[in-house]
Order: sequence, then C-alpha cells, then structure tokens
Amino acid sequence: MEGEMLKGHLDMIVLAALAPGPAHGYAVIDEIKRRSAGAFDLPEGTIYPVLHRLEHSGLLAGRWVTADSGRRRRVYELTRRGERALAERRAVWERFSDAIGSLFGERRRGRRPA
Amino acid sequence: MIREYLARLAGELDFDPALSRAVGREVEDHLLEAVENDPAADRQEAERRAVASFGEARALAAQFAVVSLAAQARRVGLVAVLLIAAVFIAMRARIAWYGVAPFPLADGARALAETMLAVDRGAFWLAALAGLAGWIYIDTRRPPGGFTRASSVQLRRFSLLCSAAAAALAVCIAADGVLTSLRLIGAQWSAAALVPLLSMAIEIACAGVLVSYLRAMARRAAVTARFVPAA
Repeated sequence: MEGEMLKGHLDMIVLAALAPGPAHGYAVIDEIKRRSAGAFDLPEGTIYPVLHRLEHSGLLAGRWVTADSGRRRRVYELTRRGERALAERRAVWERFSDAIGSLFGERRRGRRPA
Repeated sequence: MIREYLARLAGELDFDPALSRAVGREVEDHLLEAVENDPAADRQEAERRAVASFGEARALAAQFAVVSLAAQARRVGLVAVLLIAAVFIAMRARIAWYGVAPFPLADGARALAETMLAVDRGAFWLAALAGLAGWIYIDTRRPPGGFTRASSVQLRRFSLLCSAAAAALAVCIAADGVLTSLRLIGAQWSAAALVPLLSMAIEIACAGVLVSYLRAMARRAAVTARFVPAA
C-alpha cells in the first residue's frame, strides 16, 4: 500500500490491532502484519510515536511490565475513549469504503463495451 | 549494532531526556525480540536486519519530537490556567487579610489606587480569558501526526494566546505590587505585613513559572522544526 495513504490511517490501524487486547509494540506490529497479510509495510519504528501520541490523547493506556525474558516492556491497551474512537473510525471507514466501492463499480459498468 | 542504534536514537532525542530513556527501553526490547525471532543463525545479521526494519533513528526522533511538542503544549495550557487560578487565590487571600489586619491607604494615594485597581482587574480577566481560551483551544485539537503547516499554525495561535495571558498576568501582578506598596509604605512594620508580601511573592513566582514554561515550549518547537526534513 502507498506509504502516504497508510500514514493517514495509522491511528486507526494501531487502534484496531489493539482491539483484541493489551499488547507491546512488537506484538502490535506483528498483529498488523499478520492481519493485513503483509500489505502494510512501514518501518517498524513508525508505530512507536503513534502509540505515544494515542496514549497522550487518552485513547490508549500504557504500563511497564516485566516480560518472561526478564526485560521491561511497555504494554498498551485501549481505553474506553479508544474503544469509542475505534468504533467511530470503523463506521466512517466502512461508509467511505462502500462509497468508493460503488463508484468503482459504476465506473467499471460504464466502461463496459456496448 | 543494536547498541549503536540506541546510542544514535538517544542522541537524536536528547531534547527530552525522560522521553529518550523511555523510548530507548522500548526500542531496545523491540529490537532484542526481533533478533530472538529472526531465523538467521548469525546474531550479527539478525541485529542488522532488526535495525534496518526499524527505520532511521533521525526519522523516528522527528516523529517523537512532534508527539513530545504536542504533549508539552497541552501541559502548558493546563499549567497556565492553574497558575492564573493560583494568582487569583493569592489576590483574594491578601484582600481577605486586609479585613483581619487593615493596612489603610493614605488619602493622597486613593486616586492612584483606584486607577491601579481598574488596571489590575482588567488585566487579570484578560489573562484568565486568554489562558482559558488557550487551554481549550489546544486541548480540543487532535494531536498532529507530523510537523505540518497546520500544526505549526495551531501552535502559533496557542503560543499567542498564552503569551497574551502571560503579558496580562504580568501587568496584573505589577498593579498588585503597586497597590500592596501603597498600603505597606508608611505603615508600622509588623508580622501582619508578611501575608501581603508572601502573596505577592506567590504571584510573582506564578508569573515566572508561566514564562519559563512558555520559553521551554518555544525551545521545543525550535528543536522540532529542525527535524522537519526528516519528519
């Protein structure tokens, strides 16, 4: 997918990746790659400023935990506000996607030879 | 290789030591996990791949600088409102104290005192309105994803409101200083005079803290702007 297009939707992508439950940055990226079947290809570090920004906005809550490896890691989870924001963005996206889909469908039909 | 990358990132994030430490720990955990999950037998190669997949340290720092600046602006908005409220409480406490331990104005000072009082009230409410407007403005904006023209305009408007609040607060405190001096000059020295003096000290300290916050935000904005080509 185009980098700029992807950047414009990063907040929604990260919120969606955290919808199943709390996760640390590496797991969030892993989840995004897995669910998008590798379509979202951005430098992995890009996700961290997004996580911090969403946390500052109150859409995510972060906390430090100790992993099985003994390393300290920061785990993020959706807040109530984050859940609401994700639901709203999902609804907007679905309307937008349906509209674009219809537009392309119309266009294809219009181009059909007589 | 991971150590070198983390050192580079820490260098880029040195404008915010707390953020630098937190991000450094988070990134280190990410890179080590990436190495552990890499099927490459060669550790050196796995580290190289983990760092390459993570992206340029400077580009990452540029994105963090924007996040950090937005968070700082929100903090400044809240702090401005709290400091203005603190000045209000100090003023009210001083006036209440004059009811307990009166420091009457000399007849010759009444005209000047009335003028100063009008200046004091006008300046205070201007500071309160500008501070409140600034806080509401910055708190209701969506944090920017990059240091764009729109975010720059947003920050400029917020800075303008906060600067107006700080300037009005300074005028208000100066007028308070004159009013307090008019009451204390010529009065018999007593421990009761410490309360107005202390309240004035609190007001001056509040203004000083607000100015220092605004200067720190301006410095952070300058640092963020330096990253623009990388953002």
